[in-house]
Amino acid sequence: MNRSLRPSLRAARPLAVLGVAATLLAAGCSSGGSGTAPGDPANGGTPQQGGSVTFAMPPNATPNWIFPIATPGHTQAYNGTIRQQVFLPLYVYDGTDTSKPDVKAGAAELPKYSEDGKSVTITMKDDLTWANGEKVTARDVEFWFNLIKANKEKWATYNEGQFPDNIAKFTLVDDKTFTMDLTQAYNPDWFTANQLTRMSPMPQKAWDIQEAGGQVGDYDRTPEGAKKVFDYLIGEAGKLSEYATNPLWKVADGPFTIKEFTTTGQVTLAKNPKYTGEDAAHLDTVTLKPFTSAQAELNVLRSGGVDYGYLPALALSQQKTIESMGYKVEPWDGWAITYIPYNFNNPEMGPVFKQLYIRQAVQMSVDQDTIARVIWHDQATPGYGPVPQVPPGSYLGEKQKTNPYLFDLDKAKALLTSHGWEIQNGVATCTRPGGGDDQCGEGVEQGTQLKFQLLTESGSTETDNTMQELQSSLSKIGIALSIKSEPLNSVLDHSPVCKPEEAACSWQLSFFGTQGSWYYPAYPSGEDIFAGDAGTNLGSYSDPKADELVKASTSSTSPTAMQDYSSYLAENLPVIWMPNPAYQVSAIKKTLGGVVQDPMAGMTPQRWYLVK
Amino acid sequence: MTRFLAKRIGQALVVVALVTVIVFLLLHTVPGGPARGILGPQATAAAIAAFNHEHGFDRSLPEQYWMYVSGLLHGDLGASYTLNQSVSSLIEQRIPKTLVLTGLSTLVALLVAIPLGVWQGRRRKGLTDYFITTLVFIGYATPVFFLALILVIVFAEKIPILPVQAPQAETLAGLFADSRGLVLPILAGAIASVAVFSRYMRSAVLDNLAEDYVRTARAKGASERRVVWLHIMRNSLTPIVAMLGYQLPVLFSGALVIESVFNYPGMGLLFWNAAQTSDYPILLGAVLVIAVATVIGSLIADILQAFIDPRVRGAIK
Repeated sequence: MNRSLRPSLRAARPLAVLGVAATLLAAGCSSGGSGTAPGDPANGGTPQQGGSVTFAMPPNATPNWIFPIATPGHTQAYNGTIRQQVFLPLYVYDGTDTSKPDVKAGAAELPKYSEDGKSVTITMKDDLTWANGEKVTARDVEFWFNLIKANKEKWATYNEGQFPDNIAKFTLVDDKTFTMDLTQAYNPDWFTANQLTRMSPMPQKAWDIQEAGGQVGDYDRTPEGAKKVFDYLIGEAGKLSEYATNPLWKVADGPFTIKEFTTTGQVTLAKNPKYTGEDAAHLDTVTLKPFTSAQAELNVLRSGGVDYGYLPALALSQQKTIESMGYKVEPWDGWAITYIPYNFNNPEMGPVFKQLYIRQAVQMSVDQDTIARVIWHDQATPGYGPVPQVPPGSYLGEKQKTNPYLFDLDKAKALLTSHGWEIQNGVATCTRPGGGDDQCGEGVEQGTQLKFQLLTESGSTETDNTMQELQSSLSKIGIALSIKSEPLNSVLDHSPVCKPEEAACSWQLSFFGTQGSWYYPAYPSGEDIFAGDAGTNLGSYSDPKADELVKASTSSTSPTAMQDYSSYLAENLPVIWMPNPAYQVSAIKKTLGGVVQDPMAGMTPQRWYLVK
Repeated sequence: MTRFLAKRIGQALVVVALVTVIVFLLLHTVPGGPARGILGPQATAAAIAAFNHEHGFDRSLPEQYWMYVSGLLHGDLGASYTLNQSVSSLIEQRIPKTLVLTGLSTLVALLVAIPLGVWQGRRRKGLTDYFITTLVFIGYATPVFFLALILVIVFAEKIPILPVQAPQAETLAGLFADSRGLVLPILAGAIASVAVFSRYMRSAVLDNLAEDYVRTARAKGASERRVVWLHIMRNSLTPIVAMLGYQLPVLFSGALVIESVFNYPGMGLLFWNAAQTSDYPILLGAVLVIAVATVIGSLIADILQAFIDPRVRGAIK
C-alpha cells in the first residue's frame, strides 16, 4: 500500500466509543466456548485444497476500486489488497522482510540496476498469462506507464518529482524486457520498494480502447490517445456494481478473480482457473466481509461467523474466550511509526520547540513502556525513531535500536533547570534568556512559560489515556499540557504545514496516530515527512543534516544510508516518538493455515489453506 | 381542503428549499473543505487544488449552490467522494432496507403500545399499572445500544435461537428470505418506541375517561367494551397520529445504533459515515430526503387527524 495514514481505518473509529459498554458487558457475560480446537496447522494437520474463508474488514472499510490506477478517494487499503489478487503488480513486498520483494507474488523477476544507479532493467516472468490467453509482456507495463504519464495529475499516488517524473526514458528491449532511464541516481532499495511497486502491467491487448465497443489499438502511445483510453477505463471503473460482470475486469493475471463486489463493500474472490503462475490459490473463495462497527464484528466473531477477524481494542480481555472457540489471537504489527509533531513555526512555542534540550526533556518524559504495556495492553510497541521498530530489520540505526532517551523525569527536569528555567507555580518559566549553554536558547524570551497545547484525535480510550499519562508526566517536569480532542479529520485539518504569520499556525502539538501516524512502503525513508520541504512535514521540521541524510537514503547507493538517517533522527527528535499501536489484533481460526500478517497491511490469501 | 393542501405543499417546498440553502451554507463554511479529509494527510497542495477544482470548491458560493440546485432539478444528487457511487443510487439502496427496519419496528411498537396504553389507562394506579409502568420506563431509559447488546447476548449467544446479525442480502426479497435475522434488530428498535407510544396512549385514555361523551355513552347503555375500544380509543389516537407524522423523518433517517450493532448498513450509517469523512454530496442528499420526509410527514399527520377528529377537519376547510 502507499505510504499514508491508512484511509480505510481513518473511517473506522466513529462507533468505538459505543463499544465500551458493549465490550465490558460481553466480557462479563462470556464464560468460555466449546473448548475444542480443531487441527492447528502450526501443530501439524493436513492442508486441504479448496474451501471458503471469510475475512472481516475493519468497520466501514468499503472497497470501491478495482482499476490498477487509483484516482483520489479510491486508495483505501483493501482496494489495493483486492486489486493485487486480480491484477498482479510488478513487485509486491511482504513486510516481514522489507529488504527484497516477494517475487512469487509479483509479475516480474528482480530488477537489475546499472552500476551508477541511473537505469533499471526489468524482465517479466515467463509463465504469466492474462485470462484471455495473451502473455503478460513488457508492452503491458508500457501501457500502464503511458497512461500514468499522460494522466499523472489524476493519479492518487502522484508526487511531483517522483514517478513518472523521475523516468527520463522508457524503452522496450524485447517482448519480456524493458529498461527505464532515471533522471538521477537512486538508491536501488528505495526505487524498487517505493517506486516500482506502484507499477502494474495492464492487459494492453484488451484495454487499449477509447470507447465502449471500440477497436483495440496502440492509442496509449500518444498523449491524446492515452488520455482518451484513461478516461474510458476510469469511467468503467466508476461502475462499481459491474465489477463482477464487466468483461474488462475479467482479463486478470492474478490468482483470483472477482466473483462478487457489492455496493455495500462485500467482496468475494474466487480462485482464477486461468492463472498460470507459481502462486496459485489453495482456497476456492475468499470473502472480505464489511462491518458497520467493531461491535458488530465482535458479535459475529463470537458466534464463529468469520474465519479471520479481529478483536477491538476494548475486547482484548476476551482473548481467552475467543481462543477457546478455536481461534488464535495474534497482534498484527504495522510497518508504521507513531508520533506527535511539534509545530516549529508556531509563533509562541516554535522557538521553544527548536531547542533540542527541550525536545529531549519532553521525550524523556514519555513513559513508552508503561503506555504500551498498561494502556495498550501490550498491543503497541515503543518507538524510538523514524524507522518502524518492529520487525527489526537492516534499516534500524544503532541509536534507534536502543532508546537514546530513556524515561527519566529527574534527568528531564534537570535539563530544563540547567538551561535557565525555574518552576513557578508548577510551570517552568524562562529566567535566563539567551543563546548560551546555560540559557533558555535563542528566540526564547524571558518569562516564557512551558505551556503546550495538544490537539489529539477523539474516539479512542487508549489514546485518551495515553495523552493523560503524557500530561501527568510532563506536569512533573514543569510543562503544562492542555489537551483538546477532535475527530481525526478535524485534527488533520487543524494541523497543516504553515508559516508563522498564518492564522492556521496556531497549533502546537498534534496527534493522529490511534492507528499509527504513518504507514511506510517497504523502504521506510522520510522524504515525505521529515525532509524540510516535504508535503507532510506538518511541523515544518528543518535540519540541514537531516535533509542531507534523507536525500542520501533515497539517492545514494550506500547500504548504511538508512541506518545513518535512523540514528540521527532518533537523537534529533523532529517529533515526539510514541508507541506504535498494532495494525489490529487478529483472531484467526486454528483451521486456517498459511497466514502471514504482513506489517505493510498487505495480504496473500492465495497462500491460505484450510487444514483438517 | 384543496386550498389547504395547495397551501401546505407550497409551504413544504419553501421549507425544503430553505433547508438545502442552510445545509449547503453550513457545510461550505467548514474551514479547509473536504479535500484534506478525503485525500488524507499525504495529499500535496497540488492534489488538493485539483480536487477542489474538480468539485467546484474554487468557485463562489452562489455559483456552487446554483450548480447543486440545477443538478437537483435534473434529478442528479451528485456523486459520493468516497464510495464511488452516485448519491441517488446509494440512497436507493439504503432507503428500502432502512424502511424495513424502522417501519417494522414502529409497527410492532404500535401494535403493542396502543392496547397496552388503553389497558393501563383503564387500570390506573393498580398494581399491574405500576408494574408495567416500571417496565416501560426501564425500556425507555435503557440506551438502545445496550439493549441491542443484551438481546444479542441472550438470544444469539446464550440461547442461540436467532442470528447475531441482520440479513446481509442486498434485495428486499433477500432480506425477508432470512427473516429470522430481522427479529432482534426490530425488537431492539421497537422496545423504546413502545415506551413512548404507550405513555402517550395511557395519558390520552385517562383524559378521555373523564370526558362527558364517555359518561353519555355509558348512560345510553353502551357496553364497556364498546365505550373503550370504539369511543375512547379512537379519540385517544389523536396524539399518537400526530407523533407518527413526525416519526416519518425518523423512519427515513435510519437507526444508526441498531444498524451499527447488527451489521445492517442503512441510512443512519450512511449519513454518519459521510459526516465523518466530509462526504458533502451524501450529507446534502440525505438531509434533503429527511427534509422531504419531515414536511410530508407533518402534512400526512394533519390530514389523518382531520379524518379522526372532526374539530380539526372544520379548522382546515
